[in-house]
Amino acid sequence: MYLKDLSSVSPQVTYTEEFINGDYIIYSKNILSVIEPSYSEIIPASLLRRMGKAVRMGIGAALPLIERNEKINGIVMGTANGGLENCINFLNQIIEYDEGVLTPTHFVQSTPNALAGQLALMSKNTGYNVTHVNGPLAFENAILDAMMFLEGASNKTSLLLGAVEEISNYNYNIDLIAGRYKLENIANNDLITSQTNGSICGEGATMFIVSNDANDALAKIINLKQINFPNQIDLEQLLNQFLIENDLIPDDIDLLILGNNGDVQFDSWYVLLRSCFPANMEYVYYKNFVGEFRTNSAFALFFATQLLNGRFHNHKGIQGNFRNTPKTILIYNQFEGIHHSFILVQSPEPE
Amino acid sequence: MQKIFITGMGAISSIGSTVDEHLNALRSGKCGIQKARFFKSRYAEDLVFGEVPFSDYQLKEFNNLTSQKEITRTTVLALNAFKEAIHNAGISAELLKSDRTAFISSSTVGGMCYTDELYSDANLKGEPSNYARSYEGSDHTWRITKMFNIGGVVDTINTACSSSANAIYMGARLIQTGRADRVIVGGADSIAKYTVNGFNSLMILSEKACKPFDEHRSGLSLGEGAAYLVLESEDAAGKKHKIAELNGFGNSNDAFHPSTISENAIGPILSMNLALQMTGIKPDLIDYVNAHGTGTMNNDLTETRAINTIFKKVPPYNSTKSYTGHTLAAAGSLEAILSILSLNNNELYPSLRCESPIKAHQSRPIFEFVRKELNYVMSNSFGFGGNCTSLIFSKCI
Repeated sequence: MYLKDLSSVSPQVTYTEEFINGDYIIYSKNILSVIEPSYSEIIPASLLRRMGKAVRMGIGAALPLIERNEKINGIVMGTANGGLENCINFLNQIIEYDEGVLTPTHFVQSTPNALAGQLALMSKNTGYNVTHVNGPLAFENAILDAMMFLEGASNKTSLLLGAVEEISNYNYNIDLIAGRYKLENIANNDLITSQTNGSICGEGATMFIVSNDANDALAKIINLKQINFPNQIDLEQLLNQFLIENDLIPDDIDLLILGNNGDVQFDSWYVLLRSCFPANMEYVYYKNFVGEFRTNSAFALFFATQLLNGRFHNHKGIQGNFRNTPKTILIYNQFEGIHHSFILVQSPEPE
Repeated sequence: MQKIFITGMGAISSIGSTVDEHLNALRSGKCGIQKARFFKSRYAEDLVFGEVPFSDYQLKEFNNLTSQKEITRTTVLALNAFKEAIHNAGISAELLKSDRTAFISSSTVGGMCYTDELYSDANLKGEPSNYARSYEGSDHTWRITKMFNIGGVVDTINTACSSSANAIYMGARLIQTGRADRVIVGGADSIAKYTVNGFNSLMILSEKACKPFDEHRSGLSLGEGAAYLVLESEDAAGKKHKIAELNGFGNSNDAFHPSTISENAIGPILSMNLALQMTGIKPDLIDYVNAHGTGTMNNDLTETRAINTIFKKVPPYNSTKSYTGHTLAAAGSLEAILSILSLNNNELYPSLRCESPIKAHQSRPIFEFVRKELNYVMSNSFGFGGNCTSLIFSKCI
């Protein structure tokens, strides 16, 4: 599956070249909200007023891609939670008005498939349309779905593939009481070296045009794998098995993109993964830019694509060990030691 | 490309706790839509629901889960149907662990079925509730994955009312592309204040039990339940009893409106045609359509139009939501199972309470029990966000 175009709305200024060219924002609080583009050119004002943040930033990232590329054959999205602000606003009304007369806007906007539906509507796309909500693997499942759709296509076919997650006070609270966020304030550029429990919260919308056609591709997604509830021995075995299945050995990987989120309880998984590779293996982190959220492996894929295309050299925000433009990248992310994923990405013409 | 067979089925809804009980209910015209006994809401008095006739505690008791306070009604409904499906297909614990066994579920309300607890937790009122780590849409999927050590691809889909039809689609693609040998597919939803108030705010809930395809229908009746099918490749199924074959599936988007379907039925016609194309048969070979048939003014008129557009001679069709109510994410897989029951028993069940059929078209849904040789059946699911999916099953002789 080839990646032809991409776009991201994130806590960094990623919808222009600003972030890629070296500027990045240091946040001093534990909530990293997206920097949104101006939507006036993209979304009619009457629609925009009713849109929740997830739908709004998803459209902000996706619609320009749909407009500047050849007609897509469908839309595949991943989101763990969809439009949570609307969801809990509606819930609050249910309780506070004792199930009285409520307006449906919040309800309709809160369904996780509202973004894929709205995108189909705005771009008049009657093609394939699916939303995956599989928690921390929702975007990985969306990639798999898109790969299978393209494999089954006989003609030149392309899809919009993407992920969205929004912060609301409510889901921040729910994850906070579940022990997922740090209690002390920490700056995002100190996240990776943090020695406490929990992470910091981020959000974002990342969108790709994927195709079965290699022409002018920016990257090729070779394969991916999910692993659930493993022990540490499983991970090493499964990594080797995954590489073998794709005719690779550890030496063939040029760069690891690691999902370290500064949670001292679980970051040891990344140490284990690195130990499966030569000691001088290059690696970079990404959650120092965007924080932790369920579908941020989509941002890792955005980052990987830019790295394969020679970007981010001398970027002052880069943390890790990164010197050479890679040709083959392995993205590894895990959530609380329970859900793990590998995504293998290559430049379209390796060697 | 590998053929895809159904080798196991499991279902729970207001009309039964097993697939056999569903068959009996269909044959006897038993409707599960009535006053709710367990659902607490101001609408429990005013409206009727297809409620599974057991309390959360009873459901947990059946499944030996009473000590697990964090388990939601959605999860326990899912578990009940999941266990029946894998038992029916004879999938061993060892096979479930294989990385060639996948699990694709779906839900709309997911873990958010306890609205009051979620309200407290989201607003940091008082001590965290038992469900503080159970709210996500994928919660039931992960709990079942952990209980059964499922080793392959795991996924949760939410395309509103077509969710589990798309879980079947996704599972079928995993087998066709050689990524899995067997996939347990389906969905689960429980009645919750969240959905009841949501549909009520759209003014599409009927006060009395829904009357799909009736000229004077007044909306849908919400139900709840779970349904799972075991799909296996021809090689994996081997000499095992094959219940039916999944021949075709189509997915489209209506691209018209967030919560209604276009008057000219663009999405439904597309998804039905795509399923027919994949099956490689002409429309006239379809012997029965299990319609989406919610009972809303919009859906039933549009779907009748779609059926009359695709079929020169309209095949028998009904809405089994007139028995179960609208089970939301579970509807696609539940109705796939009910379609297969019709198919294998050569029986057509009447669409309940359709007294005067929609005037705009000549066709009318099945109005009495009929025995008839059936070979191909189609099941439709359409959802908010324009998500339309159609499935075609055939007999295994």
